[in-house]
Amino acid sequence: MRVLAGNQILREALAQEMERDQRVWLLGEDIGVLGGIYKVTEGLLQRFGRDRVTDMPISESGFVGMAAGAAMLGLRPVVELMFADLFPVCMDQIVNTAAKTRFVTNGLLHVPMVIRTPTISNVTAYQSQTFEAWLAHVPGLKVVMPSKPQDLGGLLLASIRDPDPVIFLENRFVYDMMGEVPDVIEPIPLGQARICREGTDVTLVAWGANMVQMAEQVADQAAEDGVSVEVIDPRTLVPFDLRAIVQSVCKTGRLVVLHEAVRRCGFGAEIVASIADSEAFSKLRAPMIRVANPGVPVPFSRALHKYALPAAEDLMAAIYRVMKRVMPKAMPKTTVKQQVELVASRPSGYLRR
Amino acid sequence: MAKFPYGLTADDLLKMYRLILFGRRYGESVDRWYKAGRLPQLPYISMGQEAVGVGACYGLRADDWVLPSLRTNEAYWTRGVTVLEQFHGMMGNAHSITGGRETSNHAAYPDRGILVGTGLIASQIPVAVGAAIALKRKGKGDVIVCFFGDGGSNRGDFHEALNLASMLKAPVVFVCENNGYGFTAPASEVVTAKDVADRAMSYAMPGKTVDGQDVLAVYGAAQEAVKRARQGEGPTLLECKTHRYLPHCPSVEEERPPEVLHKMRQRDPLVILGDRLQREGLLSQATIQSMEQEIRQELEDSLEQAEHGPIPEPAEVFHNLYCEPTTAMGL
Repeated sequence: MRVLAGNQILREALAQEMERDQRVWLLGEDIGVLGGIYKVTEGLLQRFGRDRVTDMPISESGFVGMAAGAAMLGLRPVVELMFADLFPVCMDQIVNTAAKTRFVTNGLLHVPMVIRTPTISNVTAYQSQTFEAWLAHVPGLKVVMPSKPQDLGGLLLASIRDPDPVIFLENRFVYDMMGEVPDVIEPIPLGQARICREGTDVTLVAWGANMVQMAEQVADQAAEDGVSVEVIDPRTLVPFDLRAIVQSVCKTGRLVVLHEAVRRCGFGAEIVASIADSEAFSKLRAPMIRVANPGVPVPFSRALHKYALPAAEDLMAAIYRVMKRVMPKAMPKTTVKQQVELVASRPSGYLRR
Repeated sequence: MAKFPYGLTADDLLKMYRLILFGRRYGESVDRWYKAGRLPQLPYISMGQEAVGVGACYGLRADDWVLPSLRTNEAYWTRGVTVLEQFHGMMGNAHSITGGRETSNHAAYPDRGILVGTGLIASQIPVAVGAAIALKRKGKGDVIVCFFGDGGSNRGDFHEALNLASMLKAPVVFVCENNGYGFTAPASEVVTAKDVADRAMSYAMPGKTVDGQDVLAVYGAAQEAVKRARQGEGPTLLECKTHRYLPHCPSVEEERPPEVLHKMRQRDPLVILGDRLQREGLLSQATIQSMEQEIRQELEDSLEQAEHGPIPEPAEVFHNLYCEPTTAMGL
């Protein structure tokens, strides 16, 4: 076992798979010479050469489509989008080419490619968006959103080996989180949730490294007041481990969902609706609550973040609301922005806010 | 014995003639049968442009690939797809290569080196570049020919793909079927370059404009580009000036003036090659009659067979979306 930072773990997984499988081809903007803006691919150009680690021009639609075509004829492209806000630029190739090829060819062709990208979270309107709900909406795509550093390598290996197109969303705070990795990383099957904290009173589902960390911290704090919160990180949204959530809600009778993306039509809505459709519905003791972005672009000024980003106090308030208890006055005032600063004490990459 | 260019034999020319003739009769038939309600799929008819698909695909090897545009019907025939297979596709039958999932003009036949294009004009161009990179890695000198129209050459994906292909020296031949109209938009108004081939200059690759009504001109230029690609010298943009005799599709009114339509028929690919073959004494009226008869029979028989083809099981829709089976509740 080694203890490495998230971006190192991703790099280890990429290098391990590139050694094992000559078909793996990394492509993206500034991934070669620079090693990516978060240094995930640092050193891989020198190690594997330009044919396998290829810097791309600013042509996101072009190179995503190109990766899809290469995948159809046998390569295993792993695309790095510089940040998740670029999805709208290449959405046609993702939705119409990558996602649909297996279906429209009746399985004669398929597209084993991965698109990795950081979700930057809290910087500006154009560099902070989390589009997992858009992507999960598309038949044919798989959507992976690891939140724990120790899950990064295994989920990335499983994504690269998966025969279908996989969107792999890396909340950028995970790059600086330290996690244990075995000497040889093993794939983690897609579709299995992680129970981060066991609990009996409230089921709290969260994804994204900063959100899961906030969920755990709030759960610990609630435990001090005698509220037992079960924190579940689904790890992958498509396929989705609904059974883990249903089982937990059957036990707790209460559900809070926390995500960074906009609440309206967010993936939290899908989870809440799925619980409403399930046997857990009759076990509910309180309305289900989503804590999320209220539906505004993420502003630049930190002063404007208070209502734009889901905060620990909002999450705590939601937990007390489903518990039908009054929140003690001495509860945390920490915002998500402060939370993420905790984990970003060793910032990597060029966005250091 | 007459000499033919590019090492082609009389037999090659007769095969090309038959492919063009087949394309012509196919176009006329599906137009009629669609309007009569016998074919449910809206067809994109290539009448007038048959020489482009035939000329660009004819000399390819079995391990090469093509990526047709919406309208490159002749790429299918030239690569050995039968009209019965395509009619199954137009009916949405279980026996179609897509299992009823997609229309015949978005049908991939990987066993015959045909990749699939999406329904979005020009989105297939970067896909072809990626396929070319995969072929280059295999190192056997295989190439891909990618088709699109004048309208597609205005899409960002066209420009990004050409830049990427040039940068990576991808073994791809870009064939622009310039029929002068994108749906109803005249290329003379919406394509600001004088020739689409001029756009190659921006991407440091050869750009060539040829008469797309002359199958031998298309063949020769395509073979030159293919040779270049096989030798690792990178992509070529080949523009074939051609004409689309019918509207964009049968559900659209003809907007072009009659004199324009009349004039374009004066350079007809079937007549151009037919005249040449007749001058050389290679094509008798009897041969034409016999080809016509065979083709008519094949079209009619295939339609009838496809009309009675089995329809897909509804639950088939859950197969081949992901590598794992899906259900009505999703993955």
